[in-house]
Amino acid sequence: MKIKSLERASWFTVLSFLLPGFTGFLLFVFIPMISTIGVAFTNYSGGPNWKFIGIRNFRYLMESSQFHQSLLVTLQFVFFTVIFQILLGLLFAVLLNQGFRGTTFFRSLFFMPNVLSAVGVSLAFSLIFHPGAGFANQLLASLGLPPNTWLTSSDTALMSIIIVTLWMSFGYYMVIFLGGLQSISPSLYEAASIDGANGFHTFFKVTLPMLSPTMFFAMTMSIIGSFKVFDQVFMMTGGQAGGGPAGSTNVVVFDVYLNSFTNYKFGYASAESLILLVIILAITLIQFQNQKKWVTYDL
Amino acid sequence: MTSKSIIQKTVSWLMLLLTTAFVLIPLYMIATASFKNERDIFEAPLVLWTENSGIFNFKQLDRFPLYIWNSIKVTFFCTVIQLGTASTSAYAFSKLKWRGRDALFVLYLMSMMIPIQVIIIPQFMVIKNLGLYNSHLALILVGSFTVFGTFLIKQFFMTLPDSIMESARIDGAHEWVIFLRIVMPLAKTVMATVLIFSFRWFWNEFFSALIYIASPELKTLPLGMTDFVTEYMVYFGPQMAAALISIVPVMILFLSLQKYFIQGIASSGIKG
Repeated sequence: MKIKSLERASWFTVLSFLLPGFTGFLLFVFIPMISTIGVAFTNYSGGPNWKFIGIRNFRYLMESSQFHQSLLVTLQFVFFTVIFQILLGLLFAVLLNQGFRGTTFFRSLFFMPNVLSAVGVSLAFSLIFHPGAGFANQLLASLGLPPNTWLTSSDTALMSIIIVTLWMSFGYYMVIFLGGLQSISPSLYEAASIDGANGFHTFFKVTLPMLSPTMFFAMTMSIIGSFKVFDQVFMMTGGQAGGGPAGSTNVVVFDVYLNSFTNYKFGYASAESLILLVIILAITLIQFQNQKKWVTYDL
Repeated sequence: MTSKSIIQKTVSWLMLLLTTAFVLIPLYMIATASFKNERDIFEAPLVLWTENSGIFNFKQLDRFPLYIWNSIKVTFFCTVIQLGTASTSAYAFSKLKWRGRDALFVLYLMSMMIPIQVIIIPQFMVIKNLGLYNSHLALILVGSFTVFGTFLIKQFFMTLPDSIMESARIDGAHEWVIFLRIVMPLAKTVMATVLIFSFRWFWNEFFSALIYIASPELKTLPLGMTDFVTEYMVYFGPQMAAALISIVPVMILFLSLQKYFIQGIASSGIKG
């Protein structure tokens, strides 16, 4: 007898299940994605008249110092955010994986900022980072340190945004790493201790290699997430002013927003988006290529 | 206990306590500053309640009941619609066999890499051409599907043995009957996870609201908070009161359902 489930489902059945979600995906993600490529080669500015202008938008971008700066700011933001998200996430996962009493409590507490509104959190940190008598400066003063400029100087504004981002996100990576740590078989640790390995050795020879798939996942999520940062920049240094003191927090996604919805240069902003997308794709691709060298999947 | 492990324990506890302070102080400051006047916010930042404290900051938020109502409305519809579209799509991607299934799913997953700002201009034109600019329906439609939720539910459906479905199919049950009567009742946990993820996302959603909503009376809560950013004179008291209002509901939800939040994250991170 033929078992029915091995056959293909009828197209009508498939479409009835797929179409509700797929229509949204098609209309609001896929078609816009393809259109962005087209719009990038036009001078479209929202009005009825527009024409194809070839690669001129890309040429302007190559010459624009504002774009160069925003690329640099984005890469700095991504670099520092990813490194600290991974390091802090791993550190606290290892700390909480020692079988402490209260592990569940700390895990929930550190994860909590991740569920809160970035807009609300940004407001709170703009109070803490107030250049005059904000709590951050009062804390520095009580330690005998000079006050910091935080969000008001181009030297420190990006760092301040990174701190807020880490406050919100390190618990997320901690939870991911905890999951990874708990899936490592205890027998590996027993074997290591029979072989006389110390804690240091065990961590680098057993824990880290076994954690490498989780590490890979966390890094991918962290890189992609960092490229998307917007709310904090808008609320803390962007808003009407535009990208922090001297453009110091003007990440590319914020610059795209400014160029499209403040300056109405839709073609130009689309070209900018496209470059950003190519960069994200390239980094992700390099990561997937590289994973063969350091990610262990066999147990 | 050796002295080494005592040192190790002490250092661990010190780090946990410092981090606890780092996490809690901003929350504590939002909560207390909401009830203080402008001078006390800076002069007594860590004092719980000063002699001038009161609910005066909240009284200044006269538009916020409306913003809250708008947020509830948009969040409710987006969440309900997302649960529907994600669970049916996940069924099509895991339990039905059709040509192009895996390729399309890879496309879905890849789209998670794209920052929304990259596609916002054509998406904006789609919404404008549908005549939906400056309406809640715009927010509801662009939020009507979720790739992440589809992914989570699909992962769960794949753990269900096909034999459950096969016997129903042999009995002649339609796929929709199998989906609604057999599969969905088993999926309560993963549905709860997707529900709270989607609630959290839409309650906090800012960018789409910033682009699609122009009228003050249609603003959602996160967008309503920008009322304070555009002003030259900054009043921190009302700002903190507004921040408190935006944070409390999702915090209560988190504290009562933390299991589902953390399960969702942990299960998305562990690869087979």
